[in-house]
Amino acid sequence: MAVMNIVQAVNSALDAKLADDENVLVFGEDAGYEGGVFRVTEGLQKKYGDKRVFDTPLAESVIIGAGIGMAANGLRPVCEMQFSGFMYPAFNQIISHVGRMRLRSRGTYSVPMVIRAPYGGGIRALEHHSESAEAIYGHIPGIKVVIPSTPYDAKGLLISAIEDNDPVIFLEPKKIYRAIKQEVPEELYRIKIGKAKVLQEGTQLTVVAYGAMIRTVQQALQHAKKEGLSIELIDLRTIYPLDKETVMDSVKKTGRLLVVHEAVRKFGVAAELIALANEEAFLHLEAPPARVTGFDTVVPLPKGEDFYFPTADRIYEAIRKTVDF
Amino acid sequence: MATPKQAQDIAMKDFMFKDFDPLQGKRLEIMNINGEIVAQKWMPKISDEKIVEAYKTMLYARIGDLKAVSYQRQGRLYTLPTNIGQEAAAVGSAMAIEKNDWMVPAYRELGAWLVKGATMRHYFYYFGGSEEGSRFPEGTRLLPVSVPISSQLTHAAGIGHSINYKGEKDVVITYFGDGGSSQGDFHEGLNWAAVFNCPVIFFCNNNGYAISLPRKKQTKARTIAQKAIAYEIPGIQIDGNDFFAVYRATSEAARYAREGHGPVLIEAVTYRRGAHTTSDDPTKYRSAEEEKEWEQKDPLLRLRKYLESKNLWDEKSEQDHTEESTADIESQFKEYEQFEGTPLEDIFKYQLEEMPDSLKSQMVDMRNFINRKEG
Amino acid sequence: MLYIFKFPDIGEGITEGKILEWFVKKGQQINEGDPVVKVETDKVVADIPSPRTGIVKNVFGKVGEMINVEDALVEIEIEGEEAEQVEKVPIEEAGFGVVGTIEDAKTDAFLPATGEGFEDVAVAEKTDVSRKVLATPVARKMAKDLGIDINSIIRTGPAKRVMKADIQRAFEAKQAGPKVGVAAASRIPEPLAERTEIEELTQIRKTIAARMVESRFTAPHTTTFEEVEISRLINVRNEKKDQLAEQGVKLTYMPFIIKAVALSLKRHPKLNCRLDMQKSRVIYNKYYNIGFALDTPDGLIVPVINDADKKSIIELANELNEKAARGRDRKLTLDELRDSTFSVTNYGSVAGIYGVPIINYPDVAILGIGRILRKPIVKDDVIVPGNVLPLSLSVDHRIVDGADAARFIRDLMVLLADPVAMLVM
Repeated sequence: MAVMNIVQAVNSALDAKLADDENVLVFGEDAGYEGGVFRVTEGLQKKYGDKRVFDTPLAESVIIGAGIGMAANGLRPVCEMQFSGFMYPAFNQIISHVGRMRLRSRGTYSVPMVIRAPYGGGIRALEHHSESAEAIYGHIPGIKVVIPSTPYDAKGLLISAIEDNDPVIFLEPKKIYRAIKQEVPEELYRIKIGKAKVLQEGTQLTVVAYGAMIRTVQQALQHAKKEGLSIELIDLRTIYPLDKETVMDSVKKTGRLLVVHEAVRKFGVAAELIALANEEAFLHLEAPPARVTGFDTVVPLPKGEDFYFPTADRIYEAIRKTVDF
Repeated sequence: MATPKQAQDIAMKDFMFKDFDPLQGKRLEIMNINGEIVAQKWMPKISDEKIVEAYKTMLYARIGDLKAVSYQRQGRLYTLPTNIGQEAAAVGSAMAIEKNDWMVPAYRELGAWLVKGATMRHYFYYFGGSEEGSRFPEGTRLLPVSVPISSQLTHAAGIGHSINYKGEKDVVITYFGDGGSSQGDFHEGLNWAAVFNCPVIFFCNNNGYAISLPRKKQTKARTIAQKAIAYEIPGIQIDGNDFFAVYRATSEAARYAREGHGPVLIEAVTYRRGAHTTSDDPTKYRSAEEEKEWEQKDPLLRLRKYLESKNLWDEKSEQDHTEESTADIESQFKEYEQFEGTPLEDIFKYQLEEMPDSLKSQMVDMRNFINRKEG
Repeated sequence: MLYIFKFPDIGEGITEGKILEWFVKKGQQINEGDPVVKVETDKVVADIPSPRTGIVKNVFGKVGEMINVEDALVEIEIEGEEAEQVEKVPIEEAGFGVVGTIEDAKTDAFLPATGEGFEDVAVAEKTDVSRKVLATPVARKMAKDLGIDINSIIRTGPAKRVMKADIQRAFEAKQAGPKVGVAAASRIPEPLAERTEIEELTQIRKTIAARMVESRFTAPHTTTFEEVEISRLINVRNEKKDQLAEQGVKLTYMPFIIKAVALSLKRHPKLNCRLDMQKSRVIYNKYYNIGFALDTPDGLIVPVINDADKKSIIELANELNEKAARGRDRKLTLDELRDSTFSVTNYGSVAGIYGVPIINYPDVAILGIGRILRKPIVKDDVIVPGNVLPLSLSVDHRIVDGADAARFIRDLMVLLADPVAMLVM
C-alpha cells in the first residue's frame, strides 16, 4: 500500500499496465520526456523507453487516429489529451471512428483504446481548460465514459479501462488531482467499469454525483447530517454504461433523487438520470427529481468562476427542498 | 552518424523518387495512351501473366462498377460512388503490395479492394445498406470504407506505427483524393508518419474533382505530390491511368517503406469519368469535351492496346472475360438479393464487446414491439 | 518515518466515537502505551493508547467532534525506521499544472483503501425495494391534501398501487368514522386528572378501531355456530407432537385447522371471494391466503399465510410459529399483513366458546375457534366423554347466504373430525 493522490494513482495504473502488457503504449503531447503537464506520466518514459511512452506532434486528431490504427494491429493505445478542451479537434475521430469501428466492421476491427484527459473546472484557468463534456461523449454510441473521484478508484478504473476491449474515455477531475490522498495498493487491481458506488446510505434522498463534485456534495451532506437528514450518496463513476440498477434501487428506497454535476445543465447526465427515474421509479417518487448543475453557459473566466460551479450550500438548499417537498 | 537529411539523401539515391521532383514538373509516364512504352527504363519487372491478370481485374472491376450503377438506377442498391476511369490506379497500386500488407481505403477504390480480397458481394452488401459488406475474411487486412474525408490517413499512420513497434515487415497503403489533401487529417497523418518513420504509402487519387470543385481550386499548389516536401518525405506524381507507372511507383514506395525509410506520397493523376455518386450530375460543372478527352486516356483502353500488341489479348478474350465477369458479378448480386435484411440483434450486439443492460432492454423492448405488431 | 495512527476498532462493533479530551499535542514526545486521546462511544468511554514511540507530528480532530473508526488520529514521527513506502515519485512542484491552480491536499491525512477489486465482494443481499407503497405523484398529492396516510390504506391498483379511488374511499371512511366517533366523543366527559390515567392511542390501535368500524358497518354479519368432535385429530396431533418437537417444530391444532379451511374453501368459493359493490361484481379468488388473528402487546394484527392449500402441516406449523413470533416483535412487513382471502381467529386458546367474530374486511368470512371442551357426547346411542371444538363462522350476508355458510362448515367439520380425509382430498 502507498498513499497517493489521483495524479500518482493514475501514474501507478499506467506503470502497472505498461509492465503487465507489452501491447500497451502511452502517448500524448508532452507526455513522454517531460512526464505530462500535470506530471501524470512522469518517470514512465525513463522506465519503459520512448517506444512505449512518447511525445507526439501537436495534433489531437492524429493522436486518436493513429491510436485507431495501432488498435487495428493489436496494440492497446492509451492516448493522452492534454486538456479535455483539446479533445475537440479529435472529435471527428472519436465520434466517426472510435465508437463505430467495431459495429462498422461487424467485429473484425475494434478499438481497445483509452483516451485520458484532465477535465472539469474550478482551477482558475484560462479559457478552454475547464471543460466538462462527458454528456457529449456519453451520447456517442460505442464509447464508455469513466470519471473517478478518488485515487483508489482512479487506479482501479484506469486499469479496467486499459484492459477493456472497448474504447474508454477516462476523464480525470483535475480540480482534485492533488487534493485527496488515499491508500492505494501498489499492485494491479481492477474496479469494474459500469458499477456505481454507494458512498453513504440513507433513507430520505438519493444524491448522485461524480468527479470533483463528490467532495463538494460530501460537504453539503455533513451539514445535512447535522440537521438530522438521512441522505444516500452514490458516486456514479461510470457515465456510460450507467449503473441504472444501483441508482434506481436507491431511488425506489428513498423516493427522492438529486443529481449534481458541474457540467452544463441542458441535455446533461442529470437529464438522463431523471428520465430513467421517470421510467423506472415513477410510482416510488415522493418528490420531483431535481438537479444542481452548471448553467447553460460557457464556464466563465476565473473572476466569474465562483458563480458557476455548484457549491455545498447550493447543493444543501436543493437537498432541503427535495426532502421537504 | 548521418543527420536526418543525410539519411534521406542516401535513401533517395537508391530510389526513383529523386528523378521525379514534382516541383520540376516531373511526372512518371511509362505507357502512353496508345499502349506504347515510352520510358522503357522505368518499366517494372512484371511477368506477362501478371499483366494479363491485372487487365482482367481492371475489366472485372469496371464491369462491377457499371453493374452497380445500373442496379442503383433500378432501385436495387442505394446511392454509391462510381469508379470508372480509375481502375489502373486502383489495381496497379494494390497489386504492387504483398498479401500481408495493410490497405486503408477511402471509398473509390473498388479495383484495389478486389485485389486485396474483398468481393463484389461485399460491395453489394455495403451499398445495399448492410454492414456485412465490411466484414472481410480474417487476415484480409483491409479496413472498411471511411466516409469522413481523409480521417483514415491517421489510421494508416497508426498501423504503420504499430508495425514499427512490433518489428513487423509490412507496409500500409492508404488512399485519398485531391479533395482529401485539403483536410487537416492529411497534414496530421503525413506529419505523424514522417516523424515516426512509419511504413505508409499515401496514395492520392487525383481524379480532377472533389464532387464539383476542380482540382485547381482545391489547392494553390500546382501538384499534390510536392506537399511531401513539407514533411521531408519523397513525393512523386504519376500518370494514374498508366498501369505500369502506377505499379512501378507503388512497388518502389513499398520497397522504400519496407526498408525502413518512412512514408511516401504518390499522386496519381487520373480522371473520374463518372459522377461523384449516383446522386451527382457532373454536367452541371464540367464539359462534355473534357469528358471526351479523358475517354481517350482511359486506363483499360491503353492497357488493352498494349496487350494486344504483344498478342497477349484479343477480341475473343475480351468477350469471354466480359461474359464470365458479368455472370460472376450477377450471381453475386443474386446472392446478395437473398439477404433478408439486418437482424434486429445485429443493430445492438456489435456496439460494445458485451451488451450493457440498458442497451439490452432497448433491444428487448423493440423485439416485443415487433412481436406485438406481428402477433 | 511518519506513522499514521488511526482510531482503532476497540471492539463491540462500535463505528464512531466523540473526542472528549486530548492527552498529546503537536511536537510532544510520546511513548508506546501512553494515552493519546479520550473517546466516548455509545458503549464505553476509553483512553486510546499510542502503539508507537515517537514525536507527535499532527493531531486530527477537535474536542467534541465525532470521528469514525479508521479515521486518522495522530501522526507520529518514529525515529530510525525506514519508510516502507515506495520511493515517492518526484512529482508535484507545488500545484504544477501549466494552467490554473491545482489545489494541494492541505494535510497528510489520507483516506483508507476501500478494498474494492480484491476480495470477491459477496453481492449484498438485495433488500426488497418494492416495499414502498406505490402511487403516482397525483395520488400522493391527493392523499396529502386529504390528510390520508398513503401507507395504511387499502390498495386496489395494479401491482398494489394506491389508486385515487382508494384514497377517496379511505377519506370517506375517515369522514364516516369520526361522525360516529364525534358523536361518541361529545358524550365522553372531560377526564379529571386525579381520577383518570390517559394513554394516547397508538397508530396500530387507531388502525384496528377504524378497521373494525369499517368491517362491521359495511358488511352485515351473520354467524353460524357448530360443534365438531375432534378426538381423532387430538390423537394424530399427540402422536406427532413429540417427534416434531425434537425437530424444533411446535405442533398445535392450528395447522390442521388452517389446512382444513383451505381445502374446504376450494369447494366453497363463495366464502373465498371479494364483493365489489362499486362495480357490481364478485371477485372469486383462486388462491387461498389464510389470515390468523394474532394477539400482540400492541394489539390485534392478522398475519397472512399465503397459498395455505399448497403447504404441508409442518410447513404451516413453522410458518404460524415464525410469523407469530415476529408479529409479537412488530417485525412483520406490510406485505405479510395483507391480501388474506379468509381468516381464522383462535380466541379459544385463551378463553371463550362461541363468539361473533368480525370479518377481516374485505374478506367475506371469518372462522372463530373456541376452547376445546371435554364434555359428554352421544356415540352409537351411548353417552361417552368427547372432545368438542366449538366453531363460530361469521359471513358477509350481502354475498354469503346461510346455506352457503352451512355447507362450508359441514365440509369443514368432516375434515376436522377425520384428519385422514384431508390426505384423501
